[in-house]
Amino acid sequence: MNVELVHRPGNTAAKINLNPGESMTAQAGAMIAMSGDMQIETTTHKKGEGGFLKAMKRLLGGESFFMNHYTPGSNGGHVYVAPTLNGDMQDYDLNGDTLVVQSGSFLAADHNVDIDVGWQGFKNLFSGESLFWLKMSGTGKVVFNAFGNIYPVDIDGEYIVDTGHIVAFQETLNYTVTKVAEGWVSSFMSGEGLICKFSGQGRVWVQSHNPSSFGQSLTPFLKPRRA
Amino acid sequence: MNARIEGTPSFGNIHITLENGETLIAESDAMSSMDTGIDIKTVFNGGFFKCIIRKFLGGESLFVNRFTNSGDKTKSIVIVQPTPGDVREIELKEGQSICMQPGAFIACEDGVKFKLKWAGFASFIGREGLFKIEMEGPGKVWYGSFGALVEREVAGDFIVDSSHLVAYDPELKLKVQLAGGIFSSFFGGEGLVTRVEGNGKLVLQTRSLSGIAEWVNPRLW
Repeated sequence: MNVELVHRPGNTAAKINLNPGESMTAQAGAMIAMSGDMQIETTTHKKGEGGFLKAMKRLLGGESFFMNHYTPGSNGGHVYVAPTLNGDMQDYDLNGDTLVVQSGSFLAADHNVDIDVGWQGFKNLFSGESLFWLKMSGTGKVVFNAFGNIYPVDIDGEYIVDTGHIVAFQETLNYTVTKVAEGWVSSFMSGEGLICKFSGQGRVWVQSHNPSSFGQSLTPFLKPRRA
Repeated sequence: MNARIEGTPSFGNIHITLENGETLIAESDAMSSMDTGIDIKTVFNGGFFKCIIRKFLGGESLFVNRFTNSGDKTKSIVIVQPTPGDVREIELKEGQSICMQPGAFIACEDGVKFKLKWAGFASFIGREGLFKIEMEGPGKVWYGSFGALVEREVAGDFIVDSSHLVAYDPELKLKVQLAGGIFSSFFGGEGLVTRVEGNGKLVLQTRSLSGIAEWVNPRLW
């Protein structure tokens, strides 16, 4: 499986080339075009496996219940995938390590990558942001997307990222989800919601823009929902 | 305080370095990521009463955050606006000022004064708020838009669509008027426009939130 990112950074799409015998898993709804003889299989977890509970967890995490698995014909083929929001993408080669991807930023992965849902606890309820992060492990490529640009930060020590700006991070990092200021009241007033405080060594990919913040600035202009 | 603006024109984001003792004032929710050891304090945006007016009549947020580096090492912080779009820096001299439309302000250096000026009923009718925000130097100010930013020198008069105005020199006077005759104003889709009079610079944005909302609204159910 090989990945070409095209039209970066504003309107990125990933062209995923698959050799015969390889297969790829993508977020439901992400496919925009593909080879004519590509086979799609839709399951709740890995290709050929069930995993109802994992799918339920994923659904709670704001991801799709189903995942699509793409397998090319005897000559290989390709699939174009893209997310809904405008922005950049990044690919990452897993080599036995674990990558944590923010729910909503996962786009596609090699079939050999194991995708699990990590629950971040009740603390996240207050932020209005995703309660769940996806844990990717195994060997193979992962493609994730962002709203806006992606800037990687190599952490050696401590660093703070607004939870709405996290795209993905290496699991070698320790993290605590916490409030931005000393007290709850001032944290609430600051409008910053919750932040993730990383420590240790590893890389975090940050998205320049926060989808929830954009949604909030658009809200006053939208008409009320019809009852 | 140094700033590096990246990702323009589509996704402008501002990487700021804070030296020991420096304070950055930023719009609520503007922080994307930062070093540890930066103190954050949430304050009313220039006094309680002015703040209430600004929130309810000027369309700005009630609070701003003060990020202070009280340590001895240089720290960095990344600041962004909620909308994807372009970002600019302007360095105001002592006494120099710039007017901003609601939502344009992202951050400024400590020392920049927020002033609230009466904008008039015409501005209110044009859905631009009863008051306007004027920022006075000395200090750097960062502001942004939805879409790209276009700068334009005005000599005499110039007409802009109200929702596309971002910032302008205080010397410029704004008046709200119909885009054309009664017929073209209401059926031509332009409605009310802003007539800018005087000599000075203005900054426009190539997209508007009210514009995208008008596109989204009929698709909601």
